[in-house]
Amino acid sequence: MEYRFEEKLMTRVTDQSSYRRRRFIAGALGLGAFSAFSALRYGDSVSVANETDQDLTAKNDGDILLFEDTGARLTTKHAATHYNNAYEFGWDKTDPYQKSGAFELKPWQVTFDGLCAKPGTFDLDDLMGMPFSHLEERVYDFRCVEAWSMAIPYNGRSLRDILQVVEPLGSARYVAFTSVLRPEQMPGQASAFSTLDWPYVEALTIEEAMHPLTFATFGVYGDQTLPQNGMPFRVTVPWKYGFKSPKFVVRMTFTETRPKATWHLENPREYGWYSNVYPDISHPRWSQATERRIWSEGEIERIPSRPYNGYANEVAHLYPGDRQQYR
Amino acid sequence: MIRTLVHLALAVPPFVLGLAWQRQALGVDPQKTLILESGIWTFNLLLLVLVLPPAVRWAGWPQLLRYRRAIGLWVFAYATAHFTFFLSFYLGWDVARLAEEIAERPYVLLGFAAWLVLMLLATTSTRRAIRWLGRNWKRLHTGVYFALAFASVHYLLMIRSEWAWPVSYAVIALMLLLLRLRRVMRPQS
Repeated sequence: MEYRFEEKLMTRVTDQSSYRRRRFIAGALGLGAFSAFSALRYGDSVSVANETDQDLTAKNDGDILLFEDTGARLTTKHAATHYNNAYEFGWDKTDPYQKSGAFELKPWQVTFDGLCAKPGTFDLDDLMGMPFSHLEERVYDFRCVEAWSMAIPYNGRSLRDILQVVEPLGSARYVAFTSVLRPEQMPGQASAFSTLDWPYVEALTIEEAMHPLTFATFGVYGDQTLPQNGMPFRVTVPWKYGFKSPKFVVRMTFTETRPKATWHLENPREYGWYSNVYPDISHPRWSQATERRIWSEGEIERIPSRPYNGYANEVAHLYPGDRQQYR
Repeated sequence: MIRTLVHLALAVPPFVLGLAWQRQALGVDPQKTLILESGIWTFNLLLLVLVLPPAVRWAGWPQLLRYRRAIGLWVFAYATAHFTFFLSFYLGWDVARLAEEIAERPYVLLGFAAWLVLMLLATTSTRRAIRWLGRNWKRLHTGVYFALAFASVHYLLMIRSEWAWPVSYAVIALMLLLLRLRRVMRPQS
């Protein structure tokens, strides 16, 4: 190697200026690569750092936040609204709050169709059926398939109270949820580097959808204006991994055959159709035995995960037989 | 003098990261940020180490090769930080679980394998080891390309739906690998 290098030098001994030019080009390329990397990777966070500086009060909204009714500890609102998965806005956990500024929360309508006696389209206020402030506030443990979790107060009502109004037929075995498709307001939907099919779709069995724990959600922390958390309307299913709780829902369809689900479609080996939380069933990507409970910015506690995310008493009866089929 | 500057430059990413950590500026989940950032910077430095020889040949700049070992040792330091963060934050230093993770999850296996290769190379980087290994030293240190291949697949396996970053790194790694292969295959005169 050394020998050949010298030989090359000798044949080009008159060519020193050309080497000098090449060194300059090599240096410039290196600098360019470094700049491009920094801009692409950190460009966003620099602009956000300026923003969060003004947001410090929210960041420190009590290091320990308790739910008034029960005294249970909650994740702070800042943490729960600045660390989200909503691939509609981007794959990074900060994309949902950073890139949801253009998202229009109003007006919002939800269409019910398929196997039901009274299909139709309803305004959000009709679905609420009462003033927002009168809605029930429930604390659920939100468990992401990525093995982190939060304790979040949700504002809403049982989904079944809404579903009963449109009278599902006896033949309806599943409910499919369709999320909104707005690539012009949701940069993740417009991304060329994503393999997900938009709009996002999810589904539950009719028994799951009608279970009193399944929560039609219109707000979190008493706040209706948080697209990063799936507002103005999502469905929360606390005993499943988070991606089974669809955000920005605009359509519910009753079907007889099992509907598609976005992540299950993307990778069925990793994301089961049911995706109940089973700590002992290993996931190809993340061990589910423990979870990292995020309490506030930077305060993270590793805790053991529980079957059905702690809701086994309420929902285990829905899943007779081998649990592998409900993973 | 230049050597000191090289070391200082390579210490900048961990310094900035550490400062941001201390100032609580790494976001809601600093653990995840630390793992991701230490990983991407390990990869950056690994690419830098491997781009040096062809760049040196092309631009006739052999002086640069003097700093290759220093950069290589920093690669190992970054990789060790990455591995330590994973062990600490995700596994809570549970060694039994590490064995389980390596056995069950290919991306952990590949990351671990890459780290082992880098450790082997770092520990054989002393003057004594170089002298002792003689001709074999060069052969052994070609293993850095295995670390590169492992790291590329390790990163590719992280893809959930967004593929731009891991695929870009894999393409660059592949180009470096092909450059190297072309050189090895060329008949020695």
